[in-house]
Amino acid sequence: MSDRAIIQRVLAGDAEAFSSLVDRHYPRCARIAFRIVGNREDAEEAIQDAFLRAFKALGDYEDRERFSSWLTRILVNQCRTVLARTKKRDAVFPDLDPHRLQFAVAAETDDGAWPELEHVLERLPAEQREAIVLKYADDLTYEEMSRITGAGESALKMRVQRAFARLRALLQEVPSV
Amino acid sequence: MSEWFERRVAAALHADVPLGADERARQRVMERVRVAAAEGHPVRRVGRPWHRVSRHSLVGLSLAAGIGGISTLSAIVPAAQRDMGQGLSSVVLGDTVVATLRDTLRLVRLMFDAPDARRVAVAGDFNRWNVAATPLARDERTQRWSVTLALREGEHRYAFVVDGTRWVPDPRAERSVRGENGRIYSLLSLSRTAN
Repeated sequence: MSDRAIIQRVLAGDAEAFSSLVDRHYPRCARIAFRIVGNREDAEEAIQDAFLRAFKALGDYEDRERFSSWLTRILVNQCRTVLARTKKRDAVFPDLDPHRLQFAVAAETDDGAWPELEHVLERLPAEQREAIVLKYADDLTYEEMSRITGAGESALKMRVQRAFARLRALLQEVPSV
Repeated sequence: MSEWFERRVAAALHADVPLGADERARQRVMERVRVAAAEGHPVRRVGRPWHRVSRHSLVGLSLAAGIGGISTLSAIVPAAQRDMGQGLSSVVLGDTVVATLRDTLRLVRLMFDAPDARRVAVAGDFNRWNVAATPLARDERTQRWSVTLALREGEHRYAFVVDGTRWVPDPRAERSVRGENGRIYSLLSLSRTAN
């Protein structure tokens, strides 16, 4: 069943049908939120709030925009809210042991997981982190990212490029790689 | 920047996280959704969204709200029966549609002709100059972009943003002002007496 059909069922009074949207989009939202806010607890809170806001506002949703994009925009705003609230807290990510950085690149695993990368993401400026996560955790085009973040496409491309450079430096990748 | 490094980073960022597979976390979402549903959410709209309702419904809404400006609305509505692209007919102020919604809110329809644009949004003080918050919709038949807003009484500065980057003042606006950044913004004045 398409997102649109599910939304129509929800708007017709079947609130439980919303669970299909939650099941379908939760893993994607988790990839985005966890990597933007940096920890599971805040990520889950941001996702919960995003789904709840989407549910309450479903009557305003218009299908000229993909539901996934609409939901992502809400989620990114919730992540920003969480980050603003936690800004003064201690670092969200634990600091890396400098010695571990020596083998950070080699520590990646076959399934794509790269624990050290998850850690150093926190060292990126929030805008760069948000841009590179949206680009690759959700496979968005720069046009879609622009609609979601409100930033221009050229600015987003620049943020992603700078994020790569910063990550590379943080991971101490050898120049010959 | 090596392609190898980019590919590795992309793959790592695209990898699922354990939270995504947590069934309990999804259930916690639905627990909050059920509470919201019990409170009457989502607000179900019958037929088209509110900003596409017919002029009769709009008048009815205004009358139901017991608000001022009804006589003005009634007097101007007959002149507003022109096709407005997506079916909204209401009070016309120049080429901008204005209708009273509540004491302090006005329905305002902005229109913009940009047949070659891929997307158009309006940014103004009413949406904190967010270029993504208020997109305009294109009527496929007329190719005209439009959006209907509920704005507070008072003066609003705004501009259209074409394809996310190009700021264009509203050609239909009666007044404009140059911002501190040198950009030209359109001015829209909404007052009870003027409308």
